[in-house]
Amino acid sequence: MLVVDDNVHMRKLVTTILQAFGVLQISEAESGDRAWTVLRETNPDVIVLDWVMEGMSGLDLVQMIRTNPQAPNPFVPVIMLTGHTSLEHVRQARDAGVNEFIAKPVSVKTMMSRLVSVIEQPRPYVRTGVYFGPCRRRRLEDFRGPERRTEKTKQAAAE
Amino acid sequence: MARKQPMELFMPPNMLKAKVGGGKGGIDLAAMERAEAAMEELKSEFSDWIAEDVKKLTAARARYAATPDADARANLLRGAHDIKGQAPTYNYPLIARVAASLARMIGELPSTAAIPLSLIDAHVTAIQVIHKNAMKDSGNKTAQTLCAELDARVNEVLAANGP
Repeated sequence: MLVVDDNVHMRKLVTTILQAFGVLQISEAESGDRAWTVLRETNPDVIVLDWVMEGMSGLDLVQMIRTNPQAPNPFVPVIMLTGHTSLEHVRQARDAGVNEFIAKPVSVKTMMSRLVSVIEQPRPYVRTGVYFGPCRRRRLEDFRGPERRTEKTKQAAAE
Repeated sequence: MARKQPMELFMPPNMLKAKVGGGKGGIDLAAMERAEAAMEELKSEFSDWIAEDVKKLTAARARYAATPDADARANLLRGAHDIKGQAPTYNYPLIARVAASLARMIGELPSTAAIPLSLIDAHVTAIQVIHKNAMKDSGNKTAQTLCAELDARVNEVLAANGP
């Protein structure tokens, strides 16, 4: 895995969590530019990426990963870890090709949940004239829980 | 009527699941417990980490005050943004709130509009005071009043420079 953050403390925090999860090989990069070099050397299985960094931002890096012919794996899952929390920022990250989004502060539970998501429920990929990356619609066909909305609708209709 | 763009939808092979051993997968509670324990051990370092982040923000403020160019502005925004995201982890929710207010002001002001240095200073000083006094209780009335006042001043600045 590759952890990209310009803040050394955040890198240590995320790396500590990943090591405790049992991840054996973790590379770190302190900038988008450095990450671009490291990911071509190590071809990581998952990238945990900060958004706001000096020089190449996290968004720029995701776009390079998805579209640059030199990227070793354009399908690599990218988890964006950021202090940005607005829906507009989530939309921007999604449109750049991010698979999953974590709003800081980071927690063990959220990190586990996003990792399980990219491993167990990967999104299909889409290529259009203007976009390449994970499908921006969540898959609905895998949902196996109770259809609460349908039940509520039925209930409302009965009343 | 607009012509639809051609779209290719495909599912790459799930090599990652095979690498982690396949199986049922899902949330690994034992791994989560290990991670929580590792986080607990890290907590002893958090006071040093927040001190370094506050120092970095103070330096970014000084740089912007000396040369208020685009680089200094971006550096100040990164400093505020980092603290906003990380201070809750370090158990300083009030610092996170003040940093969020500072990041909002810098981030939402048009790049052509100057950021009022007095208001930057008010935020940075508030963060320094909260840190110095180790105010970790988000319910602290004085701090809440201060945060509300900073929010109001930021709203005024943004409204004055709005679209």
